[in-house]
Amino acid sequence: MTLAIETIDLTHRYKKLVALDRLHLRVEQGCIYGFIGPNGAGKTTTLRILAGLLTPTKGEVRLLGERLTTRAAQRLVGYMPDFFGVYDDLRVWEYLDFFARCYGLRGARLRQVVDELLDLVDLAGKRDAFVQTLSRGMQQRLCLAHALVHDPPILLLDEPASGLDPRARVELRELLRTLRDMGKTIMLSSHILSELAEVCDAIGIIDHGRMVISGPLAEVQQQIATGARARLRIARESDVVLALALLQRQPLVSAVGAAPADPRSLVIDFSEPLDEEQCAAILAELVKAGVAVSEFSARSENLEELFLRLTASVGQLDGQAAAVGANAGNTASVRR
Amino acid sequence: MATQIRGPLLNPILVREARTRMRGFRPYLILTIFLLLLILSAFGIYQYMVFQARTGMVVLSSHIGQALFRGLAFTEMFFIVLVAPILTSGAISGERERLTYDMLLATPLRPGQMLAGKLIGALSYLLLLIVASIPVFSTVLIFGGVELRTLVWVILLLGSAALFFGTIGLFCSSLFGRTTPATIASYVVVLILCGVPLLIASIWPQFSNPMGQSPPPWLLYLNPFSAIVAVTTVTPTTAQPDVPFFSPSDPFMVVPFLSQFSVGVVRYAPEGPVLMPVYRATLLGFWLGTFVLLWFSSHLALPARRWRPRWSDLGFIAVIGAIALFIWMRIEWWWIVPPVDPWLMPPEPMPVPIEPAPLP
Repeated sequence: MTLAIETIDLTHRYKKLVALDRLHLRVEQGCIYGFIGPNGAGKTTTLRILAGLLTPTKGEVRLLGERLTTRAAQRLVGYMPDFFGVYDDLRVWEYLDFFARCYGLRGARLRQVVDELLDLVDLAGKRDAFVQTLSRGMQQRLCLAHALVHDPPILLLDEPASGLDPRARVELRELLRTLRDMGKTIMLSSHILSELAEVCDAIGIIDHGRMVISGPLAEVQQQIATGARARLRIARESDVVLALALLQRQPLVSAVGAAPADPRSLVIDFSEPLDEEQCAAILAELVKAGVAVSEFSARSENLEELFLRLTASVGQLDGQAAAVGANAGNTASVRR
Repeated sequence: MATQIRGPLLNPILVREARTRMRGFRPYLILTIFLLLLILSAFGIYQYMVFQARTGMVVLSSHIGQALFRGLAFTEMFFIVLVAPILTSGAISGERERLTYDMLLATPLRPGQMLAGKLIGALSYLLLLIVASIPVFSTVLIFGGVELRTLVWVILLLGSAALFFGTIGLFCSSLFGRTTPATIASYVVVLILCGVPLLIASIWPQFSNPMGQSPPPWLLYLNPFSAIVAVTTVTPTTAQPDVPFFSPSDPFMVVPFLSQFSVGVVRYAPEGPVLMPVYRATLLGFWLGTFVLLWFSSHLALPARRWRPRWSDLGFIAVIGAIALFIWMRIEWWWIVPPVDPWLMPPEPMPVPIEPAPLP
């Protein structure tokens, strides 16, 4: 299937500052793609390029197989910026009417689109209210609706959940799922990683303008994080020294230490992901040696830990010129 | 799949401006202040003319009509020059400040359409002010004395000034990221265009070489006030060297401040005072300036690759070229050649009688 978004060697410079450095991005059609990165990583620059608002210094962008031009971006993309503004002196329906007119809609079609979008974002009840009287969450939904007036197949949302309360976030998440079910490809950037983990099908982590890892969320987590860390709780304090000695002898254990707040809790870092049998073997060895284990849990890294670890390692690797291929298809790829 | 994008039937910015321009109290406040200013001007001029009549001056009905028309046209021009830049100086910078500019740029709306929508929106408000002033202006009809030709010229000047000064605000708005610097910059340009030429014209005789020469008319080409003074000054139908050119009942001559706006418009030739028709050049200058500034603004409004040539540039070049050609074709009409100051004219040589040569 044709990719919804594809960038090849995408590079952008702001004078001497390299904002994007040969970025490879592949987003499949009909998925919600989470774009993660620290401040200044190049997320907004990427989204602005995809929306046709910036011309890249180098590289190629394809949207649904079509080479990016300003005209193609206007037709194929709905864009919601990070800091979006609203026209305070307009009513809710006038706001959508204005943007619909910008896309050449007129007459009965124009009225129909405005009504449908108000229903979709659950603002039909606020139709005649002035935009300035809406809550932040409602304004966010209205702004999202504005990006949909021309029924684009691709939606680019820059930090759509920022500044929203938990309820508004849940509503937004539901709305994004509805849009995905309508066949839209959604690419969104966010700092709220737990948010992305719940709604995204695929993620990409960008740092210093380079793609660190990209792929389906489950595969990324499995490949990078499964069993990389385990937590062990020992019933008797006297067994802690023995347990530490036994674990340090294990070839796969890279580090082990007691939690400062709870000396009977040990945190074990493994040098590579462990499968369930390996976990069971370690546990059996401890029990056989007489260590009273009350709790053992191999824990996957959550998205936040993954993000922090990967962006930190990129910082260390910065300067190396290794190009990173990112594949959002079947296999997740990691920059090492 | 995405809707096929068509061009908008009506400029969306214009539709939005039409919806929001009259919202809130500000537009009504401006309208009220404007009408009050006009009514006060009309009342003041009328009282002044009555006072003149009471002191024994001959004040005809047509004198009052002309003075009222002139005063009101001047006040209206003053208001347009003051308000037009404010209405447009937030056009682009306001969108940037409001963080809606990216959203606009992501739509198929072109910068030219944005600028046109904003400018027409602002001008339509100014048109509303002009239309609202018709009842006040109609007091002139009670007294008469104003030619239809003068009325047409004044309307043309007011409309062109609204366009030109509105475009100055638009240009500054495109140039600066924020509205406050854009407004300040547009007022600096307005001050340079309106105040500086008059100041130079008033001190010109002291610094000219030889001293005492009249200021050149080109100095006042882009000054809207000089144009209003020139177009509303009533010239005597017949050469009457004994009758003063300006009636003492003319407020521009008697009120010291307002008389400054006449500097450079009137020249004194041996055959009597001559009125410089600088308003012709003013009108063409405003049109040319409007299109040049619009062209610059349409490039400055772009977020990137501002100065890359575009097809729309051809349209601007065609219009600017047409105006330049029009100027060139009627250069003698446009290029106002002032008469030489009488005292600078060389004295006529006295005929020297030639004595016949003595016969040998």
